[in-house]
Amino acid sequence: MKTIPLNDIDLNDRRFCISYPLEDEALTGSIGEIGIVQPVLLLDASPLVTITGFRRITSAKKLGLANIPAIIKKVRADEALLLSIHDNLGRGLNMVEKAYALEKMAGAGFSRQKIFGIMALLSLNPHEKVLGSFVAIANEEKPLKDFIVRHGASMKNIEYLLKFDAQERKGIISLLSPLHITDSLLREILEMLILMKIRKGAVNLRGLHTSSDGRDLKARLKKKNYPILSSMEKKFLAVKQRCALPPHIDIKVDPFFEKEYIDILLKIKSENDVKAAMEKLKAILEDGYIRSILELTQG
Amino acid sequence: MNSLKVEHAESQGNIVRDCPGTKDHICCGYKTIDLIEGCALSCSYCILKAYLNTPAITIHDDIPYITSQIDDMTGRETRHILRFGTGELSDSLALDRRYKLNRPLVEFFGERKNALLELKSKWAYIDHLIPHLNPYTIISFSIAPQRIIDEEEKRTSPLYKRLKTARKAQDAGCFVGLHFDPIIICPGFEKDYHYLIEDISRILDMDRIIWLSLGLLRFPPKLLGHYMEHNRRNLLYGEFIRGEDGKMRYIKQQRIKVYTMLYKMLKKKNKGLFIYFCMEREDVWRKVTGMTVKDDDALMTLFDERIKHLYGGKI
Repeated sequence: MKTIPLNDIDLNDRRFCISYPLEDEALTGSIGEIGIVQPVLLLDASPLVTITGFRRITSAKKLGLANIPAIIKKVRADEALLLSIHDNLGRGLNMVEKAYALEKMAGAGFSRQKIFGIMALLSLNPHEKVLGSFVAIANEEKPLKDFIVRHGASMKNIEYLLKFDAQERKGIISLLSPLHITDSLLREILEMLILMKIRKGAVNLRGLHTSSDGRDLKARLKKKNYPILSSMEKKFLAVKQRCALPPHIDIKVDPFFEKEYIDILLKIKSENDVKAAMEKLKAILEDGYIRSILELTQG
Repeated sequence: MNSLKVEHAESQGNIVRDCPGTKDHICCGYKTIDLIEGCALSCSYCILKAYLNTPAITIHDDIPYITSQIDDMTGRETRHILRFGTGELSDSLALDRRYKLNRPLVEFFGERKNALLELKSKWAYIDHLIPHLNPYTIISFSIAPQRIIDEEEKRTSPLYKRLKTARKAQDAGCFVGLHFDPIIICPGFEKDYHYLIEDISRILDMDRIIWLSLGLLRFPPKLLGHYMEHNRRNLLYGEFIRGEDGKMRYIKQQRIKVYTMLYKMLKKKNKGLFIYFCMEREDVWRKVTGMTVKDDDALMTLFDERIKHLYGGKI
């Protein structure tokens, strides 16, 4: 191990960098307090090239350190890349980092067998199509990468995002970024956006930016994608509201208005409760509200 | 179709089965003969993509084994006239010119005279079968507007060829069946069906259409992702919900509207036309036709009446 001046390292050479993002506040804080514990690995070249430790070097630079502990290794470029990948495997890579690793291997001319071997280590399905998707992620714009990392997006959702063109994706990411959404909710939202794009030929985000949260956004998208169902739900809720049902009576319909029958639920504690419920039901029957609901369920 | 992988399988188990039907929907009690599994036509919406795991085509050509199962089934049935078809897991005619599997079945049903065989297809070629056809074989075509054929059924015969071939079958003494299935809701589809029905009434003898089925597009949920992945705009245009049987279907209000439109158009052309719905709910039947068809048995009875009306005592 040696102590190397930062100036001796080519900080712009990121041939072997698979870390994303490079900025890590916690790491910078730690280095600021106790310095770099684990030396970085550098390729013996002039100037020196980083093999592992990109984040440590970024933090050191940010802290204004002049020197860092390092090990200098004389290896071929392909060996250096593998060292970088294997060194990072233990910490669990995010999707963008996996993408970088595979894209760099493909770019360096590694055989499919070698790449698929690394994919298996990364818990990825070693398949050409999956590799293609990861190479695409590596080449995508920064906002998408940031979104993937911040939301911990699954491969399915990343593939969905890649189905949009750059302009649409920009709009979608700006729509989704402020919201706290689970991966399954994200999937439902993206599926509805894809459906909209397939049906209309474009994604219309008008009226969606004011969504208060992920569920609200999903509801608004549902209204756009399922106008008949949404209007039936609205009518049903309006009729139910006009019924002014007491808390112990409820009317339920099939969520898709597929079943012809409706359910009338009563919570009864006494005979008087039954009498009151019967009177209420008689009143809403005479007012035509039951008929209005049945018209909805009968199509 | 030359690059297709075709395997001949040893016949075992039930090759002749009841149509699986679907929960809470009325089934016509069809019997399926799985003579061929897999299809060369690759229609974009095909549910075989979800049901069959292999792209290869499997042929069961042990005809005596199959006919003994048919005999067994017709022998056990005491109430209804059975209808058998080979078009459930494949297209009945697409490979028949090469493999000639239908001829022994056509002859078998012609000899037995106790049930009907339906050959359901989108492939308009029956010349090799014409010398052997008899009234106990129904030549049927799935029919869709030419625009849908162009975009979703690319390897199949064009509409006019299907209709001309159906006419050829009628002229050879057969009744024909038509299946508007799947009906796909997409921009302008109403007009397309208007012209389609005009074509049918011009080319075919409407009195010799034994039955006509209507079935709006429905599919297992896992095909939704497949359609989305392949940008199937036509298939995804309508508003789908998950039906009681778990399959994706157009919302009931839309189904009733479309069925009513087609039912009226068809009945206007021929009042006596026997129209049924493939896998629909009892309330949809009632709303569209005014008839109460409360279960599978009721629909099978309607089929019996239709067949008796056309065949008299010859079946």
